[in-house]
Amino acid sequence: MPFFVVKRDLPGVTPEALQSAGLRAKSCCSEMTTEGKPVRWVRSFFLPETAQTHCYFEAPSRAAVEEANQRARIPFTQIVEVVEMTPEMV
Amino acid sequence: MNDSELAISFAIFAAKQRDASEVEPEHLLLGCLRAISRFGIATLGPWDLDLESHGIDWTRQPDGPRPKVAFSQTVVELLDRAAQIAKSAGESKVGVNHLLAAFANVDDGLMGELKRKHGMASASWRAAVAQLGFTPPVVAQANHPAIETKRARDYLTPEDAAEELGVHVQTMRAYIRSGRMPAFRLAGERAIRILRTDLEKVLEPLNEVKNGDK
Repeated sequence: MPFFVVKRDLPGVTPEALQSAGLRAKSCCSEMTTEGKPVRWVRSFFLPETAQTHCYFEAPSRAAVEEANQRARIPFTQIVEVVEMTPEMV
Repeated sequence: MNDSELAISFAIFAAKQRDASEVEPEHLLLGCLRAISRFGIATLGPWDLDLESHGIDWTRQPDGPRPKVAFSQTVVELLDRAAQIAKSAGESKVGVNHLLAAFANVDDGLMGELKRKHGMASASWRAAVAQLGFTPPVVAQANHPAIETKRARDYLTPEDAAEELGVHVQTMRAYIRSGRMPAFRLAGERAIRILRTDLEKVLEPLNEVKNGDK
C-alpha cells in the first residue's frame, strides 16, 4: 500500500497539542479502517527549528489520507506520496 | 486500544448514531462515561450515572457504514486540555480519567445537565474523577474470584438467560444493572456472559417474600 507524508506548519504548537492531535489521528484512522477505508498513521517527526511536522501514513490513496486528517481536524499544508527506502534495501 | 481510544471510539459512535456531522462535547462525554461503565452504569464518586437515560444503548456495537464525522473545534480544545492535565499529573499518555477531568469547568450541554441534576460542582467532579483510579472493567473482572471457577461451567448470553428464566431480556438487563444477577464480560469484548448456576440468584422463595413483606 502506498505511503504518504503529510506536511504541517504548526508555529507555537505545544507537546500537549501534538499529543492531542496524535490521539485524534489514531482514532480517525481506526474509524476509517472500520468503515472499510484502511488508513494507518505510521509515525511523525516534529522539526522544532521550523515548527513543522512530517507525518507518514499508509493508505490506498492521497484522498484517504486527506480525509483522515480533516476528520481529525489537524491542519496540513501538503500531502505527497513517498517511496520508502531503508538501509536494508540497499 | 487503550481506555481513551475506546472512549473516543464510543464518542464517534454516539455522534454517528445521532447523525451528527461532528463529534461534539456531549458525544465525547458520553463516550468517556460508556468507557468506564459496567452494564450501562458509570460510577463516578458518589454518582451512578445511567447511560440509558442519556440515550446510550450500552450493548450495541458500531455496525455498518454511517456518515463520516469529524472532531469539532470544541472537542479538539477538550482533548488539548486533557493532554495538559495528563502532563500535569506526570503521565505520558492521555487516559479516560484525563478526558473526564477536562470537563470539570464545562457548565453547558450534557455536562451542565449532569451538574444540575446531581448537584455536582467542578471540584467534586475533579475529586470523583481522581478517585476513579481507572482500571478497565475487563481487567478488574479478570481478577474476580468467580473467574477462577468458570472454565468448566456453562455460560449464557443475557438473551439465553432471559429465555431460561422465562423473562424479557430487558428484565434480565435490569437484574444485571442492579447487581442482582452476576455477569461478566468476555476479555476485550463488550459481550456479556452469565453463569448458568447464577440463574437461581434472582429466584426468591415465595414464603420468604411474604414473610419479608409482613
